[in-house]
Amino acid sequence: MAKKRKRSSDAAAAVEKPDEFAPQRPERTLFGFKEKPADDEEAEAEPASEGEEDAAAAAAAAPFRNKEKVLVTCSRRINYRYRHLMQNVVSLLPHAKKDSKVESKQSKGNALNELLELRSCSSCLFFECRKQKDLYLWMVKSPGGPSVKFLVNAVHTMEELKLTGNHLKGSRPLITFSTNFDEQPHWQLVKEMLTQIFATPKDHRKAKPFHDHVFVFSIVDDHVWFRNYQISVPHNEIDKVDKGGLDKMTLVEVGPRFCLNPIKIFGGSFGGPTLYENPFYVSPNQIRALEKRKKAGKYAKKVKAKVRRKMHEMENTLEPDEFAELWKGED
Amino acid sequence: MARLAAEDPLVRDEAILDDDDDDVDTDEEESESEDDSGEEFHAEPSKKAVYNKEGILEKLEDIAWPENVDWRHKLTIEHDQGEKIDVNDDLARELAFYTQALDGTRQAFEKLQSMKVRFLRPADYYAEMVKTDAHMHKIKGRLLSEKKKIEEAEERKKAREAKKRAKEVQAQKEKERAKQKKEQIESVKKWRKQRQQGGFAKGNDDGPDLNFEGDEGFKQSKKKRPGVSPGDRSGGLAKKGKQGKNRKSRDSKFGHGGRKGLKKQNTAETTNDFRGFNQMDKSQNKRRKMDGPRVRFAFFYAP
Repeated sequence: MAKKRKRSSDAAAAVEKPDEFAPQRPERTLFGFKEKPADDEEAEAEPASEGEEDAAAAAAAAPFRNKEKVLVTCSRRINYRYRHLMQNVVSLLPHAKKDSKVESKQSKGNALNELLELRSCSSCLFFECRKQKDLYLWMVKSPGGPSVKFLVNAVHTMEELKLTGNHLKGSRPLITFSTNFDEQPHWQLVKEMLTQIFATPKDHRKAKPFHDHVFVFSIVDDHVWFRNYQISVPHNEIDKVDKGGLDKMTLVEVGPRFCLNPIKIFGGSFGGPTLYENPFYVSPNQIRALEKRKKAGKYAKKVKAKVRRKMHEMENTLEPDEFAELWKGED
Repeated sequence: MARLAAEDPLVRDEAILDDDDDDVDTDEEESESEDDSGEEFHAEPSKKAVYNKEGILEKLEDIAWPENVDWRHKLTIEHDQGEKIDVNDDLARELAFYTQALDGTRQAFEKLQSMKVRFLRPADYYAEMVKTDAHMHKIKGRLLSEKKKIEEAEERKKAREAKKRAKEVQAQKEKERAKQKKEQIESVKKWRKQRQQGGFAKGNDDGPDLNFEGDEGFKQSKKKRPGVSPGDRSGGLAKKGKQGKNRKSRDSKFGHGGRKGLKKQNTAETTNDFRGFNQMDKSQNKRRKMDGPRVRFAFFYAP
């Protein structure tokens, strides 16, 4: 008897629990979610209670809502490693849409712009692989926004066994930037774009309400380095860390890792006027060509040295040896 | 030439950046001069690189979220890296990223805590993870095997050391044993001397006749053993077992032990000795041989 009662009380607790922390969704209307007069959003915008009827007033007073959608795609003939990197990025961004590969031609910009419009995406990550070894990443804001082209270096995918962390799929990441992002305008722009693309929109339907991983964007040596760590912190409640838990917090790397070297910033999406050009950038093709030329120089140097030696010998010929004839008569 | 101005304080990674865009066409003639001097490449900012700051800021304004947007939309934290980080030092670089992440997370968690929102994952919340269980199992296996490897290596190291020490201990023990032996012998000698000096004659002492003088005591006696052949290593025990009459007579006839060669030859005596031959047996054998199988097994063929 006693057992039975206990179980029923357990069940009741289990029923109660989910409501406890499930984020309450605002009521849905024809034009999107009805904004609830939430106390935390009051600070930035007036309560939109009467704004529902008056569309113009609502537009002016509507609180900010992030409706970012990111199209993630890649060029044809992409390397498997880079494809895995792309898939990892997709798994990190619940607000991403995948699309089929795009031919990497001169006219890819137009095709991609069209695709963005079709999929109603506001930004795009395009992984362009050239020569099966060089990966370029286009980071684009869709209709009119700027686009940044990066060269991707030092790629490590999530599949690597050295990266031992794991986190919820779709939980919203904390994003940390190094302060040197604010030093120059082009870095500011890159920071804004990274924030918009990599931050999962609040209350996105695929997002989970907890924060258990953190992204690192850091500028070292004029490259943007990306890392993704799992946060493990001792806690019993869901809205409070244990006492002293913040000091005991540890991070485990989840991956992927990559390093972005900005090449150019354009004014339009996939094109437009060039706003910035990296003065230090050397294309990998040039680097390879230089290396080749260095190697080729080895032989040329040898030939040159030989010629020089010959010339030298011709110029100062040896005097005839006085002992040359000495042993001639013996045999 | 732009490259010769080597005063640029930023010495860059040669693998990544070592040339400029505008060098492409001039490289051909440059390579000639480069041949002899193995100078390092210094990155030079190209002069004609575009940098439209106003345009960039304008674009930034276009796309930026409103200024007063709630922090919970962005979840961004800034972190000051401090002094410059060496890119090629992997450990320092990764440490810098880690500290940035840790510091940022602490700040963010404090903020979230003060907002009184639920942000930590409860222990009983199960949902799809970024990495599959199979993959995590693989990672676990790898970690375990690594741990095992380390443990094994340590054990091997320990065993090696123990072996070394065991050798030393063994040597010590042997030394001690030898010393003890010496001492014992010495003491017995002393005892005998004392007895002799005490007036006991050598012949009728009742003490044990311990012959420890010199090395002789430990040598094997070279006495001839009676009734035992010199090659016999059983110490004469073989002879002492009970032997039947037959055995004895056979031994007397054929001999036992020793070289076989001479014993097996006939002599005048043995040629005339017919003791071992049985006449009856011999005739039977002969008939059997002569009959052949048909006669011998006639009963099989009988009609």
